[in-house]
Amino acid sequence: MHRKNIVKLAASMLTILALVAFYMVPVAMSQDDMTQVPADAFGTLERPRVAFAHDAHNEKAGIEECVVCHHGKTEDGKMDKENSSEGDPCSSCHAVKPTDGATPLMRAYHRQCITCHEAKGAGPVACGQCHAK
Amino acid sequence: MTEFYVFVSGPLAWIAWGFFIIGSIYRLVSMYALAKAKDGSSLAYMSLPYSLRSILNWLIPFNTMGWKSDPLMTVATFLFHIGFLLVAVFLGAHAVLWDTAFGISIPSLPGGFGDAVSFVVIAACAVFAYRRLALPHVKGVTRPKDWFSLILVALPFVTGVLAYHQVGPVLLMTTLHVLAGELLLALIPFTRLSHALFALLTRSYMGSEFGAVRHAKDW
Ligand code: HEC
Ligand code: HEC
Ligand code: HEC
Ligand code: HEC
Ligand code: HEM
Ligand code: HEM
Repeated sequence: MHRKNIVKLAASMLTILALVAFYMVPVAMSQDDMTQVPADAFGTLERPRVAFAHDAHNEKAGIEECVVCHHGKTEDGKMDKENSSEGDPCSSCHAVKPTDGATPLMRAYHRQCITCHEAKGAGPVACGQCHAK
Repeated sequence: MTEFYVFVSGPLAWIAWGFFIIGSIYRLVSMYALAKAKDGSSLAYMSLPYSLRSILNWLIPFNTMGWKSDPLMTVATFLFHIGFLLVAVFLGAHAVLWDTAFGISIPSLPGGFGDAVSFVVIAACAVFAYRRLALPHVKGVTRPKDWFSLILVALPFVTGVLAYHQVGPVLLMTTLHVLAGELLLALIPFTRLSHALFALLTRSYMGSEFGAVRHAKDW
């Protein structure tokens, strides 16, 4: 091959790569590509981040209903198991240090994740399994 | 394995706490009955001011002749006892368990600090073991039950550090740690470690004896 052709080929391949990457960005922002539980609300972390491939997890665990995790809030401040809240981060109702008597964020995660794993006898239950190095 | 961990960290923890609390009450009550039967008059001579004086003085490192006579042991035992209580009660991971299980938020040690204290406690246990192996006057009075309680105390720290640093299979290590912690808790009232229940009382007895009875300038 001529050197000119190699340059052309490399340039077009780079363009394709750049385009693919460009189109991936919005996907990476959605739950399809969530690989870890969001932890920004905590500030500095005591423990390593928790792996959580949103869609793959729910498929493997056979969870059909979004409301199992994304419950809503009723008028009188109770947990709403009818109307789901997917899209709202947990921290929008569960502050890290709540002043309104709500369940704090860490406890909300631990109770939701660990309670189900313990009940099913499957999935991580020990600290180091979720907060893996 | 997951089911076993759920059992160990659930029902078994209740059982261990039950042994600890009921066992402690039983030991204190039966010791009181024994003291009354064997040495009833000493109970009448127990003095609160002299008891407190003795306890306070022994709480200060190198304050008493006992502490001055054995500096290595004094340093090791103070680090050990303070470290033990700090870790057992205020370790971050232990606080998270109270939070998840009962929704109680207790103050806790920052992550790195709890880890460091755990290593200090393990080092203090090594000093205890060294004394029992190497120093003739300690070796001579060492019985198997002394080794048993030392191992009982060291195990939760060793397995806890391994679990925290994720050395070896994490779920197995954490399970072993919880088992070790529960074994210790359940056996405290029934081993040499029962001094945790009695130490303040024996100290009070000695303090009262020297202060209120013999009027010695000693505590
Ligand atoms: C096993 C629990 C669980 C189930 C079931 C679940 N989700 Fe989620 N989902 C989460 C968690 C945890 C987050 C992160 C929440 C946060 O940002 O605080 C999340 C985040 C999201 C987000 C926000 C994505 C982002 O990147 O911020 C969307 C959208 C979402 N989930 C949709 C759904 C839908 C639709 C379903 C049902 C098909 C569903 N989820 C089922 C746990 C779950
Ligand atoms: C729209 C508001 C809202 C959102 C979003 C929300 N929750 Fe809740 N959650 C509540 C309310 C209200 C309650 C009941 C009062 C309380 O305990 O705070 C509750 C209770 C809980 C409880 C039960 C607490 C207990 O004491 O047993 C858990 C666990 C929990 N939430 C986890 C989560 C998780 C995890 C997420 C994110 C995936 C989430 N919540 C998102 C409103 C919300
Ligand atoms: C309603 C039940 C339920 C809830 C809630 C739940 N999980 Fe799970 N999870 C499961 C089950 C079931 C499995 C085991 C799936 C299997 O291996 O068959 C699992 C497995 C996992 C695994 C291992 C995945 C793998 O590929 O082996 C991780 C990591 C995990 N869960 C994290 C989480 C986190 C983090 C949360 C909280 C945000 C959570 N889970 C909430 C049911 C649940
Ligand atoms: C089933 C999974 C799971 C298990 C098991 C688990 N956690 Fe978490 N933990 C989470 C999730 C999810 C969060 C919130 C997201 C994050 O912090 O990455 C969290 C948050 C935390 C936080 C607050 C954030 C930080 O890092 O400072 C601490 C501390 C913590 N966990 C400690 C523990 C301890 C200690 C244990 C064992 C007793 C434990 N966790 C067991 C899933 C788990
Ligand atoms: C009911 C008994 C107990 C339970 C359920 C329990 C539970 C736990 C758990 C879940 C961890 C976290 C492991 C990790 O981070 O991955 C831990 C850590 C630890 N625990 Fe316990 N524990 C118990 C008793 C004890 C006792 C009695 C001691 C000794 C005082 C102890 C000392 C430690 C230590 C040293 C660590 C690791 C600290 C570090 O290196 O950061 N535990 N424990
Ligand atoms: C009120 C609390 C306690 C008091 C006042 C106390 C006091 C003492 C005293 C006076 C000694 C003997 C002196 C020495 O060898 O240093 C001792 C030794 C020891 N204590 Fe404690 N103690 C307490 C709690 C505990 C607890 C909770 C544990 C662990 C479960 C513990 C474990 C040990 C060990 C292992 C030794 C001996 C080390 C050895 O020589 O092998 N103590 N304690």
